[in-house]
Amino acid sequence: MGEPSSSYSSSSGGKRKRPCSSSNSDEHPVGRTQIYTSLEDNLSFSDTLIALQLMRTQFPKIEKVVTQPFILQSQLYSSVKDRTQVDRDLESLKKDKVLRVFKLNTGQDDHAIMFMEDYLKQMMFAVKRSRGKDQDGTEVFEWFERYVIHSKLDVSIDHHELCSLLSHGGDATEKHITLLMNAGLLTRQLIDPNMYWFSIPSIGPILKGLAQGRKEIISLLNRKKYKEMLLSSLEKTRLRFSPLDVRFHIRDLIGSGHIKTVQTPTGLLARISKD
Amino acid sequence: MWCEAVRLRERGELRARRFEAVARARRAASLALSNRKEFATPHHGAVNSVQVDLTEGRYLLSGASDGSAAIFDVQNATEYEAGFIAKHRSILLVDKQHENGHKFAVSMAIWYPVDTGLFVTASFDQYVKVWDTNSAQVVMDFKMPGKVYSAAMSPIATTHMLIATGSADVQVRLCDIASGAFTHTLSGHRDGIMSLEWSASSEWILMSGGCDGAIRFWDIRRAGCFCVLDQSRSQLGRRPPFLESTVEKSYSVQQRKGKSNKKPQTLHKSQIPGQGQIQQRLHPGLSTSQNRATAHYGAVTGLRTTTDGMYLLSSGSDSRLRLWDIDSGRNTLVNFEAMRLQTSKPLQLAVTEDPSLVFVPCMASIKAYNLWSGMTFQTLRGHYELVNCCYYSAQEQELFTGSNDRQILVWSPSTPDFTEMEDDDRRQKDFVADEDNWSD
Repeated sequence: MGEPSSSYSSSSGGKRKRPCSSSNSDEHPVGRTQIYTSLEDNLSFSDTLIALQLMRTQFPKIEKVVTQPFILQSQLYSSVKDRTQVDRDLESLKKDKVLRVFKLNTGQDDHAIMFMEDYLKQMMFAVKRSRGKDQDGTEVFEWFERYVIHSKLDVSIDHHELCSLLSHGGDATEKHITLLMNAGLLTRQLIDPNMYWFSIPSIGPILKGLAQGRKEIISLLNRKKYKEMLLSSLEKTRLRFSPLDVRFHIRDLIGSGHIKTVQTPTGLLARISKD
Repeated sequence: MWCEAVRLRERGELRARRFEAVARARRAASLALSNRKEFATPHHGAVNSVQVDLTEGRYLLSGASDGSAAIFDVQNATEYEAGFIAKHRSILLVDKQHENGHKFAVSMAIWYPVDTGLFVTASFDQYVKVWDTNSAQVVMDFKMPGKVYSAAMSPIATTHMLIATGSADVQVRLCDIASGAFTHTLSGHRDGIMSLEWSASSEWILMSGGCDGAIRFWDIRRAGCFCVLDQSRSQLGRRPPFLESTVEKSYSVQQRKGKSNKKPQTLHKSQIPGQGQIQQRLHPGLSTSQNRATAHYGAVTGLRTTTDGMYLLSSGSDSRLRLWDIDSGRNTLVNFEAMRLQTSKPLQLAVTEDPSLVFVPCMASIKAYNLWSGMTFQTLRGHYELVNCCYYSAQEQELFTGSNDRQILVWSPSTPDFTEMEDDDRRQKDFVADEDNWSD
């Protein structure tokens, strides 16, 4: 097996864990048939950026909503062994403006990671939709993109700083900020009325699906006698309430610690962790 | 391996200090539920805090939810069960029956750092009481405006004897034992204060963690807090080569040069009326009260510094543990795999003295993490219910933990070579390391 290339079509990146399984890669054509590679083979990587790029290609396609791929931070923790290294790599990638991190409102510490070009594409869809409704004040979107996104790299921004950054482009008023919030680019914080979270526009239905899918998988495992199930059979279940696929949820649950995997002679076993 | 270390020391290849450090580290890494020491706790409620005194390391003070505080002798047992299990009973107990005892739960009980003649208890009945140990009487009490969550005294103080108390009120109050009055009121937090910790390197610096998620550093000699920890300001590794604030200032100055300055001012006047003027009138020490940076996404439930005073560990109700570099005030981004932490009660964390391990009460078990890499080192399971507090005694390398099941458990080093040497003078045949006698 060769070195994993950093292009998007590298499906052999995950096989580094088990070098004897090179025969598997002969059967799968490179890149297009991601569905044939099982989760077990792709469970751990050694580099954060490679893990991010691979998970981005595996992002499920949803019919009704058009979304650019994003990766949850808990998924990243489940794929790369050393969590401290993941945090530090994310920090340096954030500073290099390769990706952006957003705080989600499902749960206390949920973060979503999106590559910069995907985020800008998503923003353009949202801007186009909101431009259709209301004509005046739309120059704020250009100001937002040019001044705010590229200089403020954190997950949140306070009112004062937002106004001062937007006013580099022109006279920023309350109406402009309302437009930004209606387009879904900013959300008000519940605890502090002067602070805003950056958010991914039109991600609402996906977050709902995320929360419901998590609950569904946990209840599925809880109903079993010993609260465990083989990972290969868990992957084949169909989720009724979530548009995202099972592998997405399993990675997220392993990373946040609700499920732990145990190696058995028949493969990996997923078990509810009680601690 | 132990004998090898002794032999190296004998030959002079291992220095005395290094030998001591290696021995301590090995003992701290092999903690297990002690099979020769147990505490008979007289409490009828959850144990909220445990502390061994700092002068001798001999007496353990515990505070519980039934309003009682008890003192145990850690080194000498009151009786021996079955010949070699040491049972420690309390040598002093003050509870609700005491005429001046607390009426509600005791949230924190700490020793006076200079000697064991006094101890301080803080309780949900809004009182902080100072007790004389020998006569078991209340010497002084302080009334606080809300439930008191935490109290702390500086272990290195030589010029003051202030008790820092944090309650459900937003201000940290410093009570003076010498005068019996409140000397300082530190404002800046936006919600109650759950945890307090004095700095290990300066007797004037206090760190407080609030329910609003902020950790503030106060120098009690001047007004206001001088530092608010922000979780988004981070450093990779141990220390950056130079401070980023010097770089940021020059960048923002360059940006403003090209644009007109009229527009930002009109915006400020309409959006935030009068704040520009108010900011100028504030005392320079209070300017950080406008700083809304948070260290955790929930409340800060526990704070602990390392003994060298360089790093601070904080636990939050967002179930994250963070390691901060105190001098630069930044998040070192060490990721501790903390699963679920208790969210409504203050937690007591413990760090070993060569800071290699940190002990965190994690639901019904205590997890030991490696401080620098964040990997889980060990999980100590023994309590039946949620664990609230733990204290690591560096003298004996023992860990004391208290939980909601009203018990205080002792975790001692279990190096088998060591137990063999100790039992030479006793006739314990079963303790001799028998290699064929194993089970899973």
